Amino acid sequence: MTRISNELRDYFQAIAWVVGTMALSYLAEPHARPADHAMIQVLAIVLLAARFSVRVSLTACFVSILAFDFVFVEPRFAFAWGDVESAVIFAAMLVVAAVTSSLNQKLRRAAFRAERGYELNVELSRGDDPQQLAAVTAKHLESLFGGTCSVILQDGQNRLSVPANLSDPALVTRAWERREFSVHGSLVLLPLLGSKSPIGLIVLHARRAFAKDSEQGHFLSACASQLVLALERLQLVKAVHRSQLEAETERLRSSLLSAVSHDLKTPLSSIIAAGTTLCDSGAQLESNARQDLLTSMVSEAERLNRLLENLLYFARLESSTIELNRIPESIEEVVHSAVERFQGRLEGRRVELDLPDDLPLISGEALLLEQVLLNLLENAARYAGRSATIFISARERKGLLSVRVADDGPGILESERGKVFEKFYRGNHSNRTDGGVGLGLTICRAIVEAHGGRIRASARAGGGALIEFTLPLAELPQIVREAS
Amino acid sequence: MSRAEVLVVEDDIVMRGVLMLALRSHGYEARPDACGQEALDEVALRPPDVMLLDLGLPDMDGVDVAASVRDGHALPIIVLSARGDEQQQIRALDHGADDYVTKPFREGELMARIRAALRRPSQVKQPDLKLGDLTIDPIERRVFVRNREVRLTPTEFKLLHILARQPGRIYTHEQIMSEVWDAEERRQIHNLRVYMRLLRNKIESDPARPARIVTALGVGYRLVCRTPKKATTK
Repeated sequence: MTRISNELRDYFQAIAWVVGTMALSYLAEPHARPADHAMIQVLAIVLLAARFSVRVSLTACFVSILAFDFVFVEPRFAFAWGDVESAVIFAAMLVVAAVTSSLNQKLRRAAFRAERGYELNVELSRGDDPQQLAAVTAKHLESLFGGTCSVILQDGQNRLSVPANLSDPALVTRAWERREFSVHGSLVLLPLLGSKSPIGLIVLHARRAFAKDSEQGHFLSACASQLVLALERLQLVKAVHRSQLEAETERLRSSLLSAVSHDLKTPLSSIIAAGTTLCDSGAQLESNARQDLLTSMVSEAERLNRLLENLLYFARLESSTIELNRIPESIEEVVHSAVERFQGRLEGRRVELDLPDDLPLISGEALLLEQVLLNLLENAARYAGRSATIFISARERKGLLSVRVADDGPGILESERGKVFEKFYRGNHSNRTDGGVGLGLTICRAIVEAHGGRIRASARAGGGALIEFTLPLAELPQIVREAS
Repeated sequence: MSRAEVLVVEDDIVMRGVLMLALRSHGYEARPDACGQEALDEVALRPPDVMLLDLGLPDMDGVDVAASVRDGHALPIIVLSARGDEQQQIRALDHGADDYVTKPFREGELMARIRAALRRPSQVKQPDLKLGDLTIDPIERRVFVRNREVRLTPTEFKLLHILARQPGRIYTHEQIMSEVWDAEERRQIHNLRVYMRLLRNKIESDPARPARIVTALGVGYRLVCRTPKKATTK
């Protein structure tokens, strides 16, 4: 309806234009010659043709010729075909109207297509999923050509699964197999051909049939190539991403391998050296030398054991299927157990505990949390020096339990605080012979995050490193306390 | 007194050899077995005083060995298992094992457990449980720490009394809860955690460093029979 009323409005406007020009011409008559009137009319026609469609322009042109004939051609105010001169003018007016308006229409169509093509391009560049791009294109083509459109993409096995609701599955299959652009009445089939392999097929039931070589046909092909480009761009991005991921995994694997093999070999070499010395010349050694060798064998073996424990936790946490065995736990039991296990390695360092009586229970897996504390104790002992004090405290904060492990050593540089939790990262104070692979804090983070908590490094007030992590509280029913 | 006999059930030949050597050097009579069936036959024929049982045996599940032994004998069973196998440790404890030691372990740790296991039966008979400076009177339901009475609630007393039946032995969460609470409450481990904290606050000289009731993380609790020393690190 709006189309028709729009066209009617155009007719009225065009005729009003003609009548207006004629009136102007008539008023200017005393100062103008007949040829001038003709020029004014031609100008009016050119302007009309630039604005309205071919049909409207030609109609207005006829009206204009009739009016000109009626007003200006002798005998005046009567329809009479005068001399050859007037006939030439009329013919010229018609030709001008026809050429200008058809040129104009072509331009407008081209502009329209360029605009829609641009819109499609913008939408395609935003998408990041092939099916989404296909849907966007189909919607776009429906709005351009009318009717219905679907864009079918081939699956992973290079097959095209043709939806059952398509009217001519045989035609569709044939167009796909022959990879050819074909038009069957209003059904248009256009394969999407990528630079290496076919990608999919556009199935368009257009409202009006059009030929392959028509402007519409070319425009459809242009839209299809835009889609192909967008799809290939996606494939490329995915491939780049995959190869980056592979490179990253490879880098991690090789750094893990070199770190682990170094850190496994060092204590192992000491053990073998001490053991062979004892085997071969144990009898000649003084008893305290023998004792020293034996002690170092034990401590090196224990170092190996700690490393393996961490590696096993690491492997467990790296596999995506990790499931925690969470129950209500009391953090002080975990802390006590960790400190007790660490006792042998304190070597003069002090541990100060600050655990209030009324700490809420947390929800977690005790042995994993103990490992977090062991790794933090290990780090503090390693970097804070022989006479360090290690502080462990816990508080309830904002519905979480916050645990802090701090020391009075040199602390962690501000620039390194974010990095210390990354895989195989080791701070400036570390050296390659202290028996760690830089895995300890990574495991701490993995364990804390698996519990739904956060871990971060900062500075202790008064100097030293501070690692704080949070844990979720256990959900508990009210516990009724008895009287003694 | 004749030397205590220890049966070592361990399939790894090196580990078995080291254990035998260590046990003999501490004055025990040690006998080796490499698999579960051999061990069961041996126990039936000549029951030892204590059994060291590796859980990863080639022929049968170590937990089944513990359960079969427990079926006819009271001898203490100490389970050897790897860290990370807590669920299996708990199963073994629930099926009759008395204690566990996690591999790798220091020799001193193992010997302490064996000594504790061998000490137990004589202590159960005492009407008054005297554990270092902790005294429990089960009939009057009274508890003394360094000769001063400590007032416990009924639940706290029950917890302490269970652990005191065999000091040094590990009681799993499940074992303790099934004796103290009814079926509904038993599943709620937070009860155990909270009452254990209350109990510790009353009987530990430094609750920040519990020395009497020791946590076996992820497994259970044990009562340690020793005079708590002054904390070394504070």
